[in-house]
Amino acid sequence: MRHLWKILMLIWRAERVALLRGVVLSITVLVMGLALLGLSGWFITAAGLAGLLGLGTTFDIFRPSAGVRFLAIGRTAARYGERLLNHDATLRALAALRVRLMQALAAQGWERLGRLRGSEMLNRLGADVDALDGAMLRLAIPAVAAGVTLGLALVVMSLLTTPLLAIASVGSFTLGGVLALIWVTMRARKPSRRAGRAVQALRIRMIDLLRAKADLAVMGRLAGARASTLAASARLDAARAASDAVEHRANGRLGATTTIATTIALFLGVMSAREGLISAPQAALGFFVMLAVAETLAPLRRGLTELGAMLDAAARVDHLLGDTPEPRGHARAVRPDPMAPALEIADLRYRYPGAAAPVVDGFTLRVQPGEAVALMGRSGSGKSTVLHLAAGLIAPDSGTIRLAGRPLADWSEEALRNHVGLLPQRSTLMRGTIAEALRLGAPEASEADLRAVLEVVQLARVIAERGGLDANLAEAGAGLSGGEARRLALARLLLRRPRLLLLDEPTEGLDDATADRVMAGLRDFAPRASILIATHRLPPAKAARRIAAMV
Amino acid sequence: MMTDTARNMGKSDPAAHHLREMCGRDAAQLRRGEGLWVLPPLLWIGQSAVVAAIFATLLQGTPGLPWLIVMTGLFLLIGLVRVGLETHAADRLTRLARAGVRRLRDDLVERETRRAPHDPARPDSAALAVLLAEKLDHLVPYITRYRPAMLRVMVVPLTILVLAFWLSWAVGLVLLISGPLIPVFQALVGLAARDASVRQMAEIGTLNSALLDRLRGLVDIRLLGATERMVAGFRDRAEALRGSTMAVLRVAFLTSAVLELFAALGVAMVAVYVGFSLLELIDFGYWQDPLTVGEGIFLLLLAPAFFEPMRELAAAWHDKAAALAVADEHRALQARPLRPLPGTGGAADRLTGAPAIRTRGLMVDHGAPLRFPDLDIAAGDSLAITGPSGSGKTMLLSLLAGLSAPDAGEIEVAGRPLDDTTTDGWRARLAWVPQGVHFLSGSLRHNLAPGATAEELADALGRAHAQAVVQRLPRGLDTRLGELGTGVSGGEARRLMLARAIHAAPDVLIADEPTADLDPETAQEVTQQLLALSQQGVTLIIATHDMRLANRMTHRLELPPFGEEAG
Repeated sequence: MRHLWKILMLIWRAERVALLRGVVLSITVLVMGLALLGLSGWFITAAGLAGLLGLGTTFDIFRPSAGVRFLAIGRTAARYGERLLNHDATLRALAALRVRLMQALAAQGWERLGRLRGSEMLNRLGADVDALDGAMLRLAIPAVAAGVTLGLALVVMSLLTTPLLAIASVGSFTLGGVLALIWVTMRARKPSRRAGRAVQALRIRMIDLLRAKADLAVMGRLAGARASTLAASARLDAARAASDAVEHRANGRLGATTTIATTIALFLGVMSAREGLISAPQAALGFFVMLAVAETLAPLRRGLTELGAMLDAAARVDHLLGDTPEPRGHARAVRPDPMAPALEIADLRYRYPGAAAPVVDGFTLRVQPGEAVALMGRSGSGKSTVLHLAAGLIAPDSGTIRLAGRPLADWSEEALRNHVGLLPQRSTLMRGTIAEALRLGAPEASEADLRAVLEVVQLARVIAERGGLDANLAEAGAGLSGGEARRLALARLLLRRPRLLLLDEPTEGLDDATADRVMAGLRDFAPRASILIATHRLPPAKAARRIAAMV
Repeated sequence: MMTDTARNMGKSDPAAHHLREMCGRDAAQLRRGEGLWVLPPLLWIGQSAVVAAIFATLLQGTPGLPWLIVMTGLFLLIGLVRVGLETHAADRLTRLARAGVRRLRDDLVERETRRAPHDPARPDSAALAVLLAEKLDHLVPYITRYRPAMLRVMVVPLTILVLAFWLSWAVGLVLLISGPLIPVFQALVGLAARDASVRQMAEIGTLNSALLDRLRGLVDIRLLGATERMVAGFRDRAEALRGSTMAVLRVAFLTSAVLELFAALGVAMVAVYVGFSLLELIDFGYWQDPLTVGEGIFLLLLAPAFFEPMRELAAAWHDKAAALAVADEHRALQARPLRPLPGTGGAADRLTGAPAIRTRGLMVDHGAPLRFPDLDIAAGDSLAITGPSGSGKTMLLSLLAGLSAPDAGEIEVAGRPLDDTTTDGWRARLAWVPQGVHFLSGSLRHNLAPGATAEELADALGRAHAQAVVQRLPRGLDTRLGELGTGVSGGEARRLMLARAIHAAPDVLIADEPTADLDPETAQEVTQQLLALSQQGVTLIIATHDMRLANRMTHRLELPPFGEEAG
């Protein structure tokens, strides 16, 4: 509940006005419904009474009947407005929650971001955020509107009938409704979480079975994979059945509460009229208002059935949002010194959390302005780690790193990203056109720039074959081979024209000739940049003036 | 868009037809459940009669306490029975719906398991998995909400209409006039709401995938200093989405507001008519005796119940649209031709005899016939299959591995024809190195060989030069791979697959493009490992573009481009 509350507050803070309007109109709809039924009931009974007493001609019929018509039309109009505003608010909430998620995640530590990339959490995030979209609209707004309306109904009923009647009927209804709500909150989460896990298992096992079917068949493991997929399907079924049971019991409880509360209103109203405390039309008014009061919780029902999924999703999303971000640098204005070494690393030591031994220990390196240095060593020798340390993605345990003569810690995030360009071992391309992918880091780049940089990474021909700069990259850059996607990421980086380039295995997967051409083109494109290349191959190393070995 | 929707609603629509068929198996039971579902609103008529009697008595004098207790008790009792029936009917319908969905799901799993892995008609695995795990569930609200609401609409308003006419033809007329107009609006609302909800769902989906896409690329976005721009761009996109969605929704809401207006005016007119006639200001609309107070209250209570089923149906409209979309997808899937996987795919005893392979007149028909030259592969041979893309290299490997059956011709393995009875035994003698490696979700050990001892695995990994790969992984052999786990590079994956093949101790190793996408050094290493296996007497059958690899094999088969016969 705590997590869901936090998410609700987050949406509320982002879209206060839209949501407030939605709540007000929701209340208007409910209150008008209440008034409509109450007035109609009172009107007919009073008319009946007047008719029986032969007072038909003196009875004021016009105001009540005009009231009935006004309420009927007004409620419809209010309902239209409410639906419009609440859907508008939903769409705003959709965006607000997603934007908040992006901002919160963008502020996380690099380590965590890297882990997040392919994680299960990200796969479920879409469904989770969807589940939470309903939290405001189908849970919070109806709950607030119902609460306010119930309060109003209590006051008005007390004034128009008797306080005892009002408290006994509206009070018992509220109590029963709240108890049903609490009951669902306690019961719904577990089956919903089990269903979520089963859905995930079913999806993954089916994909495994289909994509690895040839392997599984040759290993004689296909029958087992089928059985485990069917087992996930059975688990999903069991979890859904448990969810359904909770939902139906909750609805049953709400229904029983409604029946009991209206019975109380009926009995107490007629008793009070019998004793002369109120008139018969007032008794009818009490009963009819109570019938409408039952409608106040109806919009909540759908939200209740989703509550389990919402609670579960809220816990996961809140966990994603929750971790304290890693503060980066004091935003001091650094002035790079063009004469100082582009990169100066002294006695660097870094140990991965949980690792037995440091991966980098006592490493020292100096890259002069405009110099290209190859960092060579077998895989696992810490080449990538040195690049990540130099780019400020992780902080060293000890040792110093200076960029253009200034300590790394003095650089603000923005200045650092503008000065240093890191090509990590794995890059992601997003949906969109090739041009959009290239302009991600350099929005002002002209078309000529884009073509030039594609030439540098030897992609001009490939891209032309795929339909040019405006061709679409499908999800996660599919459509390009691994090596091509990597070179596109390199091109994207070069367009930013960073002063210091940190390239991690830039030519992996390329044949020697292409690798040579890429390295030569890179030098021509950025003649004054300082370059540090981590590689285990010779061709890119040949392009460097100097080779630093890591062992 | 409108004509498209109209077509989808028609009886001749294949999706609608398929949806009915999907529910057809449980038709009788569903009818019973829906029948139960119709009862609660009819019980409300009874409750209304009790309430009307109580107030009529109250107006005409002082009702006795015992009578009052009995009557309110009756109201309570019918009400509780109504709630109980509704819960029971919902339970029943939901169980049927879940069971039906489970059956469809399991049938799909069985069917797609039986499909040959290289069947060109195979569906996209991610889309199929989403259909199975998530979309099929959209059929449940159709069965538990839409269909029962449909039956209520046919039964409840008609019953109330008969009662209304019986008591007062004027009230009956008011309901009759405002009622039939509703189905007309209903259809309009349905059309508008369906288009709106379909569009809204599609756009929310787009927004979600845009979010995930950006979150996956967050490291890159930050490295490129583009975080703020990315957030602003996303916000703009959401704003544009809101504008276009609201335009569509406004139409849908307006139409349904008109519908509600008719219902509200219907109720209001009944109330006003009843009030006026009780005051004797109106002297028409009844049969013989003027309306009594009791009858008036009874009619007032029934009027909203007359419109309620139609409102329920309107609320369930998008359930039908969602179900139709799923039915359409399911139908398209069922309509795909299926090339079956020979054998069961389970564990089997190895087929005995020298693992020689002999093929005669092999042909596969994928729209156009693809013929393969005859092959005679002796035990211990090494064969490179080369040829341009699309010439059928992978298909030939699939045939030789017993992963699909030819449309004509025969394959003999170890002296026996390769058929359903021998395939599992033949595959038990093979190892298969695929081109695109898919790691199963689970530990590396689970991927390589779940039952193997640490020594056995260490030996296989050593021979495949894959030990460094394992050491680099955060938890060694227990590292989770696959969709949710750590990734390995293409070269590393290839080495792990070789280790898996070596551990299987095969008589024949079949590999599809084992050196594709590798840098020259890694490709060279993989080639060496394959040759080492060949020297140990393992038959190698390798499809490849890589001439350096092909030239090291003892035999070579060049497949002609697709469409040209072998010379």
